[in-house]
Amino acid sequence: MEKCSLQMKDIVKSYSGVTVLKGVSLNVRQGEIHALLGENGAGKTTLMNILGGVVPSDSGVIHLFGKPAKINSPADSQALGIAFIHQELNVVNDLKVYENMFLGRELYKKSGILDAKRMCDETAKVFKKMNVSIDPREVMRDLQTSYKQIVEIAKALLMDAKLIIMDEPTTSLTQKEIDNVFSIIRGLTKDHGVTVIFISHKLGEVVDICDSYTVLRNGENVASGSITQPDGSKIKQDDLARMMVGKDVLNQQVYEDHEIGEVVLEVKDMTVGDRVKGVSFTLREGEILGITGLLGDGKDELVRALFGDLPHTGTIIKNGKPLCVGHPSQAKKCGIGYLPPNRKENAIIKDLSVQDNINITVLEKCRCGIALSRKRERAVAQEYCEKLRIKTSNIMNKITSLSGGNQQKAVLSKWLNAKPDIMIMSNPTQGVDVGAKNEIYAEIMKLARQKIGIIVTSGEAQEIIKLCDRVLVMYHGELRGELRRDQLTEENIMILSTGGSLN
Amino acid sequence: MQNTTSKQRFGSLKKIASNNSIVLVVLAMIFVATLAEGSQFLSLQNFMNILRNHAVIGIIALGMSFVIISGNIDLSVGAQMVAVAAITVSFVNSTGNVVLGLIIAVIAGCAMSTITGIIVTKGRVPSFIVTLGMMYIYRSLCMFFMQGGGFYLDKTKAPFYTQISNYMLFGKIPMPVIYYAIMFVLFWFISRYTKLGRHIYAAGSNEKATRLSGINTDKIKILAFTLLGLAISVAAIVESSRMGSINSTSSGNAYELNAIAMTVIGGISMEGGKGRMSGALFGMLILGIINNMITLLGVNVYLINAFKGIIIIAAVLLQRKDREL
Repeated sequence: MEKCSLQMKDIVKSYSGVTVLKGVSLNVRQGEIHALLGENGAGKTTLMNILGGVVPSDSGVIHLFGKPAKINSPADSQALGIAFIHQELNVVNDLKVYENMFLGRELYKKSGILDAKRMCDETAKVFKKMNVSIDPREVMRDLQTSYKQIVEIAKALLMDAKLIIMDEPTTSLTQKEIDNVFSIIRGLTKDHGVTVIFISHKLGEVVDICDSYTVLRNGENVASGSITQPDGSKIKQDDLARMMVGKDVLNQQVYEDHEIGEVVLEVKDMTVGDRVKGVSFTLREGEILGITGLLGDGKDELVRALFGDLPHTGTIIKNGKPLCVGHPSQAKKCGIGYLPPNRKENAIIKDLSVQDNINITVLEKCRCGIALSRKRERAVAQEYCEKLRIKTSNIMNKITSLSGGNQQKAVLSKWLNAKPDIMIMSNPTQGVDVGAKNEIYAEIMKLARQKIGIIVTSGEAQEIIKLCDRVLVMYHGELRGELRRDQLTEENIMILSTGGSLN
Repeated sequence: MQNTTSKQRFGSLKKIASNNSIVLVVLAMIFVATLAEGSQFLSLQNFMNILRNHAVIGIIALGMSFVIISGNIDLSVGAQMVAVAAITVSFVNSTGNVVLGLIIAVIAGCAMSTITGIIVTKGRVPSFIVTLGMMYIYRSLCMFFMQGGGFYLDKTKAPFYTQISNYMLFGKIPMPVIYYAIMFVLFWFISRYTKLGRHIYAAGSNEKATRLSGINTDKIKILAFTLLGLAISVAAIVESSRMGSINSTSSGNAYELNAIAMTVIGGISMEGGKGRMSGALFGMLILGIINNMITLLGVNVYLINAFKGIIIIAAVLLQRKDREL
């Protein structure tokens, strides 16, 4: 039997009463690339955080290289030879390559001066081992993204890491760069016996590069095994997707039949930098159109461009008339509303009251002569608080005093207040508890019945399935496919968004 | 029963006190000054003196408040005031037309600040840097055109101009105090009762969210600068009229810092989005009373700025505590 470099057994972890990991096990053999798969919230990150010493587990045992290991802090984890490479690059662009490599662990000469030469030599040694040619004295900023990623891997090797965890390492890379990084990873595992745990949503990649896999769902092990089947063929992406999603997905009915009218919006050849490449689609009155895809595949850039928040090329035609939306204020005038993702950063005006936040989009409605009428502002805000059941002790309190769900409802109110004909919503239920989630879904259904064209973008497949009449799936900035409501399954969405095609 | 109501009353009193700790500071300072100096401090004339001496910077501080609330800062206000005053004085001297002179002052001030605002927003350069540059430019150009000296008002050509600031209403109230009051009401009204005012707060609080609410935040920030320009113009008129001259080296020095001090003492946060116009008023009063007390109490004048420094830091510490409560 081959040596196991990592065994995690019966790991349990709960956060404030909610069990995230319900006795998960993970076995990784030495020198292999092991894929850890699962939907958002399946528990992958928590499991890896336990391994990285970021959070403690409630119970369970970890064996590393045959010996029981106790990991209480990130330093413990590092000392045991585990390196964690995060999704976003942790490099300092203004420093040189070797300075990044030795950041925080600089080598000194006896005199107390930095020993640049030795650091460069050490760096060059690691690069040689990896078969890459990067000048250690080059400034980080001048490197391509894939080389930055490679420097991160090199840093892990420099620390003598025997187990490298890579959390979605390819999201910010182009295909060519991905190939580059992959060949390095393969070389490391084959020639130097390094073990890699690979977290990715791109199942194509997983099948390409990994040797074995473990699938988690809702904090439990679902399946694990070899990518290469006993008969010599590789496992199918669809099978992996099905395992990740599961059959027993609880589906509460929120969708209601509604009438779909004329085409209200037509988008032709929309291109946004290199993030969205020539996307065309139409939207009808009362239709709920979903746009989904993996993180970084362009769905958010597409709708932001539609709202005038990003420069773009292409035509936007609304009710037969071409629109020019160069700024969100123009989009608002054209009757387009946008509920952005990341509420705290993009939607909440933290120093203003609940009332002021609700009224901010169309303050002119509350004008009386040249002055704003506080009375009218209050009436409008109160109306929406009642309609959407926003729970607040006083609408003059700051919006930050509300719970996440109520904040989101207030943000939605500010757009309902503007009475748009087209409403774009990105992750409409992000950071919202279950109760408020369903209230927001009901509100979206109500909008559709009022003949408003609705675009919902979400990374959560379940949300898209619950709501949408039609779904566009994006992959690497292009439309990969379109699904009718009767074709909407998580499997189909997963297949398209990981670059596969139906039938 | 009675107990609870009195508790509630006490609670709301506490709330008022913590929301307006700045008012308490002013009252405390007046109290101390009265104890120390008695009748001289409390006289109407002394108060009018305080207000008159600080009206010019106070008016600039009103505009500065808008710019700071919108998330920017302006270091060029002192130099710009001298530039506007120089343009106005030389125009009045050569034509004798005071009304047109005032209009030109307003147009020049607003235009200069608008340009600053456009560079800041469209050029995406931090306002600190743009206005630092503007400060040097205005000051240097003034010195160049005025050859290091000053412009003196030609009192024979435009006798009315000096009256703008030196006339006493009812023989008691200096005109600068009236101008300050008018400007205060205007800025207070804009900040509280207009769409622009609300948008200035919103843009300073969370620019991204405000932009994504379909509001042209660049335009809002430029308009905040334009309003500061208006305040600078009024300040330039009041200052040049009161002094009967404007000097390229000695006028308007450290006005920007004093104006910023007033706004900060008044609880207007440098982070943007927070603060009220009443704060700018109390900030002016506090600085004014300190200067006045030090003179009346016969403290060494060299210590004035040390007191100012202590008050600035103390005021911000106090407000920090308020926020946490």
